Amino acid sequence: MTAAAAADTRRPAPVEARKPLLRSGRVRDLAAHAYVWTILVIFVLPFLALFGYSLTGPQENAGLSNYGYVFSTFGDNLLWSLKISGLTLFLNVLISLPAGYAIVRKSFPGKRLLFSLLTLPLYVPGAVIGISLILTYNFTYHLTTSMWGPVFAMTLGTFPLMLTPIVVAMKDLPIVFEEAAACLGASSWQAYRKIVFPLIGPGISAGLLLSFIIVFNEYLVTLFVHPPGLETAPLRVFNQIRTAGLAPTTAALAVTMQVISFLAVILFFRIFGTRHLKGTYIL
Amino acid sequence: MTAGTPPIAPDRTRSLALPGFARGDTRSGLRTLLMLVPALIIAIGFLFYPLVFIVQMSFTEGSSYLSPAGPVETIANYTRLVSRYLPNLLITLELALFATIVDLVFGFPFAYIFVRKVRYRTIVRALMVFPMFGALYIAFGMRFILLPGGPASPLLAAFGIANTDALFSLPSVVIAMSVFTFPFMVLNIGTALGNVDPQLEEAAACLGARPWQTFRRVILPLTRAGTVAGMLTVFGWSIGTFAEPLLLGSQNEQRALAWTVYQRGVVQTDYGLSTAMGDVLLLVAFVVTYLSLRYSRGALVE
Repeated sequence: MTAAAAADTRRPAPVEARKPLLRSGRVRDLAAHAYVWTILVIFVLPFLALFGYSLTGPQENAGLSNYGYVFSTFGDNLLWSLKISGLTLFLNVLISLPAGYAIVRKSFPGKRLLFSLLTLPLYVPGAVIGISLILTYNFTYHLTTSMWGPVFAMTLGTFPLMLTPIVVAMKDLPIVFEEAAACLGASSWQAYRKIVFPLIGPGISAGLLLSFIIVFNEYLVTLFVHPPGLETAPLRVFNQIRTAGLAPTTAALAVTMQVISFLAVILFFRIFGTRHLKGTYIL
Repeated sequence: MTAGTPPIAPDRTRSLALPGFARGDTRSGLRTLLMLVPALIIAIGFLFYPLVFIVQMSFTEGSSYLSPAGPVETIANYTRLVSRYLPNLLITLELALFATIVDLVFGFPFAYIFVRKVRYRTIVRALMVFPMFGALYIAFGMRFILLPGGPASPLLAAFGIANTDALFSLPSVVIAMSVFTFPFMVLNIGTALGNVDPQLEEAAACLGARPWQTFRRVILPLTRAGTVAGMLTVFGWSIGTFAEPLLLGSQNEQRALAWTVYQRGVVQTDYGLSTAMGDVLLLVAFVVTYLSLRYSRGALVE
């Protein structure tokens, strides 16, 4: 730390010698940063526009009444979203923890192929997952009227997002810790519970974050497989736009969903940093 | 430590022959299988079986799968797909291709600046998750922005573009799609760029190469794998586009295949045709995925 600070204070001196070059470099740097910020603004622009829109309306205190409307009329949809996200995350953990352990620590033939096959759901278009699941729910599983239909669909779509960070975290974990535990007389279950599980915690949290963001905002597969009466919040947004056109209340719901998702991201960044999201969607 | 015991290297990843770790006997094999069972159930039961099911169903007529007389087998769905719905497939591929090109053109400089120059990476990462919340919100927001009387109308008026021309058009669909997939491109190119030593660029400059020459002769060849993988990933995600053409497109873009699958399958219950379209989408997605896995570092698991 101190060495870096010392290096920083020393740095300006040699640069001073070639002033004209520095100036053109500075212009280029400014342009580069301006470019990055322009793109970032474009990323956030749809959200900001919806936020502005959600504060408008014919009545007084329109913003307040719009968000009141979200929590009263759209309350059910938000609850469904939270419920389905919770159940899906639980199933994701249940599936990915043992699978991740087996993939990293055990040796068996066709391991690489198996991992590729397990991450395949990420590459199948949502509409194809939707049509194939609603038809099998209809003809084989008889899940069309149960809330487990959407839950299993979400689990299938997002468990690779949970599995990948766990596999990465397990690969980074030297096996000596488990061996030490075994030498000291721990069973392999004890070694897993007391040593491995806490140490891959950030990986598990990264998986939870990624799958939460996707499941919480998923409308496409839900549109195909949702049973009558179950309408998640993003699906409600979609249906409102299609049937009623644009309305400030719908914008308020969309903003609420994005704010909740963004808070989850910020919380994760504060606690764990971005290191554990490496190799996933976030650079 | 006695002289006889070899020291344990901390970076060793292979196991000692201790009980419970990587033993090759049958009991251990059974336990490994048991650990994989939940993942296999969900993958086989809810992905592979349904995909086989829709391939079977695409060779039956209409909704005859339901009829008591039994399904009527036919390949008419595929011939209809070629004769009547070819434009739907073409517009889907066209949109995906345009989105890929836009992402490449804007994503490469972005990734380069991000890897080489940006110090405030956490802020960039945090803001870059907004598109991840879904194409639906992007399309909704853009529709509001472009609406007559919306925030963009003064700007559009200055350029002499009618609001409805901007709203229901191919460019607005492509922009929404490329915003949604932009982080995939940056992720892939950025990872490749991170592995290129900046000294190579300095060496090229010292040897008299102009910036363009350095880019073409040094950076581009070294990041080709990541760039190709990024393009394929973006293309693969874009062919499933659903909300963007629906909310921002004209009649022509609204024919995108994913939406047609929903219309024909769920609304009109023409299961045969709808599953045939789904299979075509799936085939394109698999070809793209296969290519991108060959190009990218698919070696997460040895």
